[in-house]
Amino acid sequence: MYQYDTIDKEMLADRSAEFRGQVARRLSGELTEDQFKRLRLMNGLYLQLHAYMLRVAIPYGSLNPTQLRKLAWIGRTYDKGYGHFTTRTNLQFHWIKLKDAPDILDHLASVDMHAIQTSGNCIRNTTTDPYAGATAEEVDDPRVWAEAIRQWSTFHPEFTFLPRKFKIAITAAPKDRTAARVHDIGLVLKRARDGALGFEVIVGGGMGRTPHIGPTIREFLPVNRLLSYLEAILRVYNRHGRRDNIYKARIKILVAALGKDEFARQVEAEWAKIGEAVDLPDTELARIRGAFAPLGFETLPERSEAFETAKASTPAFARFARNNVKPHKKSGYGIVEISLKAIGETPGDATSDQMEVVADLAERFGQGDIRVTHEQNLVLPHVKLDDLPAVWAGLEAAGLATPNINLVSDIIACPGLDYCALANARAIPIAQHIAEKFRDQDRAEQVGELKIKISGCINACGHHHVGHIGILGVDKKGEEFYQLTLGGSGAEDAAVGSMLGPALPYEKVADAVDTLVDVYLRERKDGERFLDTFRRTGVAPFKEAVYADAH
Amino acid sequence: MKALTANRLTDGEVVFWKDGAWVERFADAQLWSDDDAQAVEAEAQGKSQGTTVVDVYLIDLVESEGLWAPLSYRERIRALGPTNHPHHGKQAEGGAVIEALQHASGAARSTGRVNLIKRK
Amino acid sequence: MPTLIEIRDGVAKTVADAFTHVADDEDMATGDVILSLARFQSDGDRLLSEGRRLGVRLKSDEQVEALAYDLPRLTLVALEFPKHLDGRAYSNARLLRERFGFKGEVRAVGDVLREQAPWMIRVGFDAYEPADGSSANEWQAAARRYRHAYQRAADDRPVAFEERA
Repeated sequence: MYQYDTIDKEMLADRSAEFRGQVARRLSGELTEDQFKRLRLMNGLYLQLHAYMLRVAIPYGSLNPTQLRKLAWIGRTYDKGYGHFTTRTNLQFHWIKLKDAPDILDHLASVDMHAIQTSGNCIRNTTTDPYAGATAEEVDDPRVWAEAIRQWSTFHPEFTFLPRKFKIAITAAPKDRTAARVHDIGLVLKRARDGALGFEVIVGGGMGRTPHIGPTIREFLPVNRLLSYLEAILRVYNRHGRRDNIYKARIKILVAALGKDEFARQVEAEWAKIGEAVDLPDTELARIRGAFAPLGFETLPERSEAFETAKASTPAFARFARNNVKPHKKSGYGIVEISLKAIGETPGDATSDQMEVVADLAERFGQGDIRVTHEQNLVLPHVKLDDLPAVWAGLEAAGLATPNINLVSDIIACPGLDYCALANARAIPIAQHIAEKFRDQDRAEQVGELKIKISGCINACGHHHVGHIGILGVDKKGEEFYQLTLGGSGAEDAAVGSMLGPALPYEKVADAVDTLVDVYLRERKDGERFLDTFRRTGVAPFKEAVYADAH
Repeated sequence: MKALTANRLTDGEVVFWKDGAWVERFADAQLWSDDDAQAVEAEAQGKSQGTTVVDVYLIDLVESEGLWAPLSYRERIRALGPTNHPHHGKQAEGGAVIEALQHASGAARSTGRVNLIKRK
Repeated sequence: MPTLIEIRDGVAKTVADAFTHVADDEDMATGDVILSLARFQSDGDRLLSEGRRLGVRLKSDEQVEALAYDLPRLTLVALEFPKHLDGRAYSNARLLRERFGFKGEVRAVGDVLREQAPWMIRVGFDAYEPADGSSANEWQAAARRYRHAYQRAADDRPVAFEERA
């Protein structure tokens, strides 16, 4: 993992000192709320319904145990003993006091963490594959480039006041766990026939009010030219993106308006003029790459007797292994997904106690490496199969062994109207009600992969457009209604979901999902996922079943 | 009926106006009839307290179990706390007014907040 | 007249402004003036022939490329921030310095707040008309807020990867 050096640490210290001064000026009345709001947002501090919310950056979703323990401690000391992991792989504290915020930033800085650029119209945290460095699918470690982007984008003097926020995703595996095609920029790392590494560059994807699957504007960008190319894209966007209408200000609107060919032409023309000055020199790339050098894996047999024995003797462990353990590139190791979707709990929430359990397990069994997924779960990417029974037991004792990764109850939900000042409707209780319907794990496994994503407003923090079943909360004269969409995907087969029919009232949503699942089970053919069946049958059978009462 | 609400600057706590001061419990809030000019005066006074509160606006109320509750769902959540954590926020305290809020129905946006959003 | 703060070689000071902003609908002032792009294009030649020094004030939706051939004749370029969140002038400033090699003054005008100082300095601004009543001392402090920079820009400070090398 990347270790902050003096320069990285001093950047955080300087930021923290600046923010302390700004808070003092606000409390003394020197700054008005309008003036201060932009400054606090630049440090991820929002005023929500009940309190301030602090969004802590977790750069490319990577944490070490010391950092996770500090987050746990902050949650216990300044919040109500928990935190909420988000779809940007960040962590939000929902009960923060403004007067405590400068101290919290200092505590974060003490473990190389911060809240820089977690809000505002700037380049936000980069998403990358939570299996990076662990999966055999990847052509190279995407974290190298995510760290290069972190540094390049941090306090970028030209791109701190963009038309709108800007999000980048990088994946190096054909199976996309980053939702690259619905980011402002999606980068897919590929290896050419001659072995050279390059990026497929996708620009102008996005969700929100007008969802777009991003088009590819360059098939192969040599990796060492990444930063100059990003600079060209951002400059074209900064100069030409719309600033007259907040809903038309994202880069997706510019790309769609110009057409991808014309947009690509402008980027290429700008890139040619920029030259190589902003690209990282090979020495710096080598330094960063060194931080992500493969860990010291043991040479282990493919088969672990301890693992097999535990599976045979403990059905609950076998279920966990089936759903939450993924293949590792090294034999004898596994990737462990920790579900933050316990049935009836809030998706993405982890208590301080749970965070400490994960930190301990990562330290003892996981090479001190913890990842956050954009689906609001945690990952221990390097666990020996021999150690899996112990890891599972530790998770189980902390209520963290829910065996539902990628299943119907592994639901993404934004905080919604329970916390968020922008929301129109609640998202969390909808997720809870749906999960309850599938408490029976046999049934959930029988249903198989089904991604439900819920947003409490059109800003789409809950990624509803790309849910196999998407649920959008809307406000009808002050009452909560929910618009269902089907057939979306944020993965390599990205698609925007299509509308099922008229919005449903709060009480009807979980039943409707239950009905949709029944239709799928009835219609599915040999091994089809929900998404596959929907793509084959179209919306008709689903629509008919859900709105049967209305006929 | 109407009440005046805001968030306290130092900690973001939801507060309500009562006789020139800000209180944390909706049960203690000062209520005005819809045509009471004092409500508008209080709102103006509240808005001038920029180092004490932010986002000051009037909310509309509806009758619930013989008591008054905010008309909009959003305002009831502000006055209670998040529905996914019944022990977090003001609802943890319990009591008749809290229960009345929890049982209130009625749905509309608060005109005061609509105006606040429009101004931005 | 607005305060003018210059930052040269890392030192901020309040200076007397030799230039007068002349809006399109105002009568021409005497001496050195700052004009809109349109007015410069119609009156610039004549004013320059009178021996005056000129500056052009670009709106945030105007692009420095429009000035490419005139830059050697200009003493300063003023870039406008209609509101501080409109970041187009950062690109304009950087291009003036990096692409067109402009050595004259690049002045920030409009909604210019001291919070913006660290970014403005890095993209090549060297003069500021603050809208928040801030002093040269405050600009000096804001300008030195960050001891390091991660990425190359229009200034010549060594960036992180050079400090590390």
